[in-house]
Amino acid sequence: TLCFQAFLQMCNLPVRVVCRANAEYMSPSGKLPFIHVGNQVVSELGPIVQFVKAKGHSLSDGLDEVQKAEMKAYMELVNNMLLTAELYLQWCDDVTAEEITHPRYGSPYPWPLNRILSYQKQWEVKRKMKAIGWAGKTLEQVLEDVDQCCQALSQRLGTQPYFFNKQPTELDALVFGHLFTILTTQLITDELSEKVKNYSNLTAFCRRIEQQYFLGHDKDSSATVAARSAKRSLLR
Amino acid sequence: MAAPMELRCWGGGWGLPSLHPECLTVMAYAKFSGAPLTVNTINNSWRALKGDVPVLISEDIVISQPAKILNFLRKQKYNADYELSAKQGADTLAYIALLEEKLLPALLHAFWVETENYCSVTKPWFASRIPFPLSLYLPGKVYREALNRILLTRGGPPLYSFAEVEAQIYRDAKECLNLLSKRLGTSRFFFGHTPTTLDAFVLGFLAPIYKVSFPRVQLQEHVKQLPNLCRFCDDILTCYFGLTVSGHAPAGQDTADANLQKLTQLVNKESNLIEKMDDNLRKSPQHPPRKLTTLKLAAGGEQNSPLNLLSP
Repeated sequence: TLCFQAFLQMCNLPVRVVCRANAEYMSPSGKLPFIHVGNQVVSELGPIVQFVKAKGHSLSDGLDEVQKAEMKAYMELVNNMLLTAELYLQWCDDVTAEEITHPRYGSPYPWPLNRILSYQKQWEVKRKMKAIGWAGKTLEQVLEDVDQCCQALSQRLGTQPYFFNKQPTELDALVFGHLFTILTTQLITDELSEKVKNYSNLTAFCRRIEQQYFLGHDKDSSATVAARSAKRSLLR
Repeated sequence: MAAPMELRCWGGGWGLPSLHPECLTVMAYAKFSGAPLTVNTINNSWRALKGDVPVLISEDIVISQPAKILNFLRKQKYNADYELSAKQGADTLAYIALLEEKLLPALLHAFWVETENYCSVTKPWFASRIPFPLSLYLPGKVYREALNRILLTRGGPPLYSFAEVEAQIYRDAKECLNLLSKRLGTSRFFFGHTPTTLDAFVLGFLAPIYKVSFPRVQLQEHVKQLPNLCRFCDDILTCYFGLTVSGHAPAGQDTADANLQKLTQLVNKESNLIEKMDDNLRKSPQHPPRKLTTLKLAAGGEQNSPLNLLSP
């Protein structure tokens, strides 16, 4: 969710965050989050970026063709590795699934619906993992993949403020969303966030974006409240 | 020095050493890094047909996924990436993710799910290389796995019919090919003058689409419109695999070659004609014998006399 908020903040578009239990069903693609603008509903980062671009706001206009290709490739890397690893950790690691994910996913519903729905979701995620070949991976291998991905992102970022030097792009929003979530969400073990913390330029990157786009806007309190209440802040 | 290494993979055809994208990737990497691999194509054996190809066997170690195989080769000091900077290494990972997310579904679809392609090309090709009765079961199994993978990763709302999913994956694949073409530009390889892991992966995914003749060829047509990608594939296949490039030159190159051929033929005809005229000239007693060895197109005395002979 944060990557979308970050993206919209970077485009200087005001956004109001609302939590709803039936959000998955309202979304046109069944995936969260989605934005509701006037009488249009758009979900998923790709379509949202295009929608915003059609309205005249774009973060990647300053990039040349090769840079745009690179940006798309890195976005796929994040989706391929980080997102899949997050899903794996939430649903395929038995301890985490039992103690954290099932209660959280089923919380809006009464018993036994909460158990049924969360087991159904777990079954779906496991099927997908099997199809892409992640079912045979152990937790150590998944963590190693996350480490490799973070290393690649860290090397690409280097000492620049954003991935494509001076201006933030969709890639920055996406990376921020994932890394911030990993760093601040409480899980059984801290191994995942430790992997990210190994790369100081990535944590500095997250802190910088949080400061600039979330904590700097006092009036947009809904965004900061949502960010703060669900997760701890990176700044202490 | 290193233990002998054997690679087991599917066989090839249509000018490719192997039809399986991951096998092709590993074979290309081995060529780039100079790793001495013995390649054994699985044709008539029951072993390893349960599907995991490519498989690298070195002494007692058996490794089965391309990323792991490449890691193993690097540890054995066969490294094609040692000249890459850290950022280029990161780019490699990103582009491989792009290939797997955007190009692989369309590749799987073209080979295994598209009915006409599957029935007329893929199934007969695989079935002819597997012993009965596995030939009845295995192609179907791979088809189901491919379909599953496509539906689970790309299907789902807002795409409600399979036709919409197909349209989306081909759109994504074409976009991916365009991005690769832009990234490659006019260089010989993706990172300068020497081929690396990324070149191996791109070849593995691209060459089967480019070379295999399917009845339904929309992706192949798209590849042919990107001449730098075609040149990239052909280059590697001829230089590193020593295979002759048969047939699939990009459209523009074809007409240029044909024109060049016609021009050469015309020039040869002209030179033959002039030689004949000169022969006649030599037989006549007017001038001392002169040997015309090269075609002289510049205006000169030699040209005028044969023409004078012919004129009434």
